[in-house]
Amino acid sequence: MKNTIKIIASLFLLFVFTASVAKGQDWNVPASAKNKQNPYEASTKNISSGKKIYNINCKSCHGDAGMGNMLPLQPVAPSDLGSQAFLIQGDGEIYYKINKGQGAMPTFEKTLSDEDKWMVITYLRSFDKNKKESKQVAEVVNPEVSDVNLVLDINNEEKKINANLSGVTEKGDRVALQGIELSIKVKRSFGYLDISGDDAYTNEKGNVTIQFPADLPGDREGHVNLLVKVTDDAYYGEVSVDRISSIGLPTDPVNPLDERAMWGTRANAPIWIILSYVGGVISIWGVIFLVLFQLIQLPKMAKNKE
Amino acid sequence: MKEETSNNSRRKFLKSVGISIGAAGVVSGFSLLGAAKAAAQEPRETVNLLTQDGQLVQVDKDQLRPTVTEPLTELQKRGREGIAGKSFVMVIDLSKCRNARKCMDACQNHHQLRPDQHHINVLQMQDAEHTAPYFMPKPCQHCDNPPCTKVCPVDATFKRQDGIVLIDNERCIGCRFCIAACPYSARIFQWTEPKDPEKYKDLTYNIEANVPQKKGTISKCLFSADRLREDKLPSCVSSCPNGVYYFGDQNEDAVTNGTTHETVRFSKLIEENAGYTLMPELGTKPRVYYLPPKNRAFEFNGDLLNEENLH
Repeated sequence: MKNTIKIIASLFLLFVFTASVAKGQDWNVPASAKNKQNPYEASTKNISSGKKIYNINCKSCHGDAGMGNMLPLQPVAPSDLGSQAFLIQGDGEIYYKINKGQGAMPTFEKTLSDEDKWMVITYLRSFDKNKKESKQVAEVVNPEVSDVNLVLDINNEEKKINANLSGVTEKGDRVALQGIELSIKVKRSFGYLDISGDDAYTNEKGNVTIQFPADLPGDREGHVNLLVKVTDDAYYGEVSVDRISSIGLPTDPVNPLDERAMWGTRANAPIWIILSYVGGVISIWGVIFLVLFQLIQLPKMAKNKE
Repeated sequence: MKEETSNNSRRKFLKSVGISIGAAGVVSGFSLLGAAKAAAQEPRETVNLLTQDGQLVQVDKDQLRPTVTEPLTELQKRGREGIAGKSFVMVIDLSKCRNARKCMDACQNHHQLRPDQHHINVLQMQDAEHTAPYFMPKPCQHCDNPPCTKVCPVDATFKRQDGIVLIDNERCIGCRFCIAACPYSARIFQWTEPKDPEKYKDLTYNIEANVPQKKGTISKCLFSADRLREDKLPSCVSSCPNGVYYFGDQNEDAVTNGTTHETVRFSKLIEENAGYTLMPELGTKPRVYYLPPKNRAFEFNGDLLNEENLH
């Protein structure tokens, strides 16, 4: 009897478990959500900003789009969002899934803005091999160049960083490269702080100028380690410059051990506590010794009286 | 005249001494070289080793040296001093925590702790009867006004210049005053022999990792001080799969997320998300900041004690 109960119980558990696993894989996307269309065009800018958002919010689980290097989670591994199997669904369906989440997939309904979500979808669509409508917008076309050069010009007074991107054409002329996104970053202990802002694309002269945040600390002399690079290596390979510049806010690190405090070790104890403790010890022992001394004196005094 | 000769003789003497010392140096140098050459010609016993990039190389056995580990005194000294010019802070985003407990695993792995011993613990919180429950990872708060170091009678627990509060297990006498003083219950006591004592027994004690652990002493979260020395994020921060932890240097006003590796301004992050510290009324000035569990990435998945909800 006991055995049958056990079997039934384990069967029930198994059923519940498989049901929950199956539930983890199923997405119930309502038809109304499927019809949603991406209102943003597939321009280079949108794709690039989508890639940035993807790298921060999606990459840690899904891996690089199209590379299949997602986290091997159990029971359902995250899908490769750059694969054709994923991109077969409509924009509305992807949008719904980003919004709602399921199982290990978080909801991004409130953590990402609508625009950000559509940017990610725009970025993912750039991997779609059978894109039905090519919405590629006419963009600036730079001539074929070699010897791409990135020049930094830093104005310490106004805290402005100007980067110029140029290349040499086949005819041997050095021309400015337009519409290329640059990343301007500041080195910090555990990573690079991106200060390039939303619109760090080179203009027709190949220039990007950004304002360095006035309150961003550097070291004692205000030195910061700057790294400027072409965001997308796909254009000209890795083009980057680093530079140490005294553009940051000079900051003197405070050493908490410099001041005497209650929490400090013995050597760092406040003077008043050392004084009052030592004083207390001396006065108490002093009284005891005084009493002892007078006790010793008693027989002597008695003798003197005699 | 006499003086001159004496002068001369002294000079001569010095000269000859100098020459002989120089010659001795050259000769001994040559002899060393010769010996080295002779050693090179003789066939020696070789050892097969695998290099980091996966190639098998043969190395002369004489060239192998045991890895040099810093002596205990050196580790103690630098562990007490801390890293100059840094001021470490942690930010925990409660809206992202879904109780994956990877931080706890990584921590226990790093610091030789059993599964029931916590330097960091994920707690299930509910502030009042009608408020929403949430998960809260709780490491040591590394207070700027730490009550624990005040009560230590033997200077075993202390604060360093980079803000980290550590414990020296070589000094600790196990009185547990610090456990009583800590309002965050961040400290644990090693009641029994620690996990895998055999495995760790030959290791030099590292004050920045509390490894090997010692029975009868206190252990606590160390912000992975040994990893910070190598510019690596703490174990818990880099093992989180959900982007809960930010860690960085307050002097640089930047914190880096352990999951996404995104670096953001510390002051902005705290300001924009209404960051807070635990029990501010005690005046302990914690270095661990929390972002409220608003706009959550995951739904709260229920009771911790329910096995099914653990994953």
